[in-house]
Amino acid sequence: MLQDVRTHLELAGAALLAGALIAIPLGVLAGYAGAARGAIVGIAAVGRTLPSLAVLTFVLPFLGVGFWPAIVALTLLAIPPIVINTDLGLRGVDPAALDAARGMGMTRRQTFGRVAWPLALPSVATGLRTAAIEVVASATLATFVGAGGLGVEIVRGLQTGDDRVLYQGAIAVALLALAVELLGGALAKRIGAST
Amino acid sequence: MTLSRARALGLIGAAALLPSCSGAAGDAVRIGSKNFTEEFVIAEIYAQALEAKGLKVDRSKFNLGSAQIAMAALEHGDIDLYPEYTGTMLIEVLHRAPLRDPKAIFETVRAALSKRGLVVLAPSPMNDSQALATTQAIAKKYGIATLSKLAPVASQLRLATIPEFVSRADGLPGLQKFYGGFRFADVKSYDIGLKYDALLQGSADVATAFTTDGAIAANDLVVIADDRHFWPAYNVAPVVRAAVAAKYPQIATVLKSVSPLITDVAAQKMNYAVEHDKADPADVARTFLKAHAL
Repeated sequence: MLQDVRTHLELAGAALLAGALIAIPLGVLAGYAGAARGAIVGIAAVGRTLPSLAVLTFVLPFLGVGFWPAIVALTLLAIPPIVINTDLGLRGVDPAALDAARGMGMTRRQTFGRVAWPLALPSVATGLRTAAIEVVASATLATFVGAGGLGVEIVRGLQTGDDRVLYQGAIAVALLALAVELLGGALAKRIGAST
Repeated sequence: MTLSRARALGLIGAAALLPSCSGAAGDAVRIGSKNFTEEFVIAEIYAQALEAKGLKVDRSKFNLGSAQIAMAALEHGDIDLYPEYTGTMLIEVLHRAPLRDPKAIFETVRAALSKRGLVVLAPSPMNDSQALATTQAIAKKYGIATLSKLAPVASQLRLATIPEFVSRADGLPGLQKFYGGFRFADVKSYDIGLKYDALLQGSADVATAFTTDGAIAANDLVVIADDRHFWPAYNVAPVVRAAVAAKYPQIATVLKSVSPLITDVAAQKMNYAVEHDKADPADVARTFLKAHAL
């Protein structure tokens, strides 16, 4: 059980980290690039609708079974909400604040780092939080490709008619998602997000 | 890489859910199946044999996951019949101790399930036993031709299995009790269509198997001999709701003529056709019935 919780958190954590590393730059690009924005946000929106199980199946021939196909599927799941919310956050920055920054003689880079990014951060945090919850909930699918996690208990409980094991796994996933939600909320409050 | 993993995984979604609504088709016989190749093929054989005698068949509850799930669907009346293994019914459904004699298993199961409103028809000669399988190379390297030899060296090996094997009495806990040892260095659960992939890709050294799996011949794997006879006979038999068996007496007549034809060799061939040659289970079943002029 503890091992399954650990594997579950490792899978979710790694996927969230990889997702953030890919999605935040993409979101920034979308927020600034006029022409590319439609494409990036559009792809992200479509990506949001792809079932993780289908992604998992699709990458199996390339990555085999185990940890990696699970990480790829979960990372793809994490990317869209982060991209969309990063873009939204940057677009929502008050133009007056940007004008003021430029008026003070800030370079483009300084304007981004000191004004636009801090103002967009609450929205980025919302994206990360959404992604984290989705990833924690969906990491249950990893069991189908031998990557472990709490899905092992859920599927075993279901297959053997052992409700105790089934609910143990299901409740643990729900509690983890809830913990992520609360933790994300607390972090968001600290950086001033409206929730 | 010769396994039908797309099929297996693509269908997981359905397998992971208990049937939530009972079938709408009023006068069709609702046939179910569990979630692996042999069950698909045999359920198709039952279905087509019944259709050939003019019965209507509803196949919407194929791919139901484990014995527990399929049996629950049957007892709740979500399906009317499905193929189940005598040994599985004895151990997993009735929670009895394994018996040596296949006939005794069938008689025990038939008597006990008739009290639950289910009719177990005569089983096929085919025995799809559980087993452990490995590659030729690993079998040679560790000298594990028998389960007795594997038991003590399991601690150096990784097992690829399916979730239910980890807790079934005729699974890992039973093996550990019966043979001693069997403390694998690592036990990972996979979807039932992927455990051989794990073995073939080197993510595992031993995989749980069914002896009639087409993948065994397709990939030149070794079935490790159950030298002390831990596993009972797993003869496949149609299990029918008593009310449906009474309403359609043809079901028993038809399936009694079909079941004897499903032998070990026939089952292996059909599973191989699906798993290796990517044939559709319905086509494989059709060919089988045609060959026997049914």
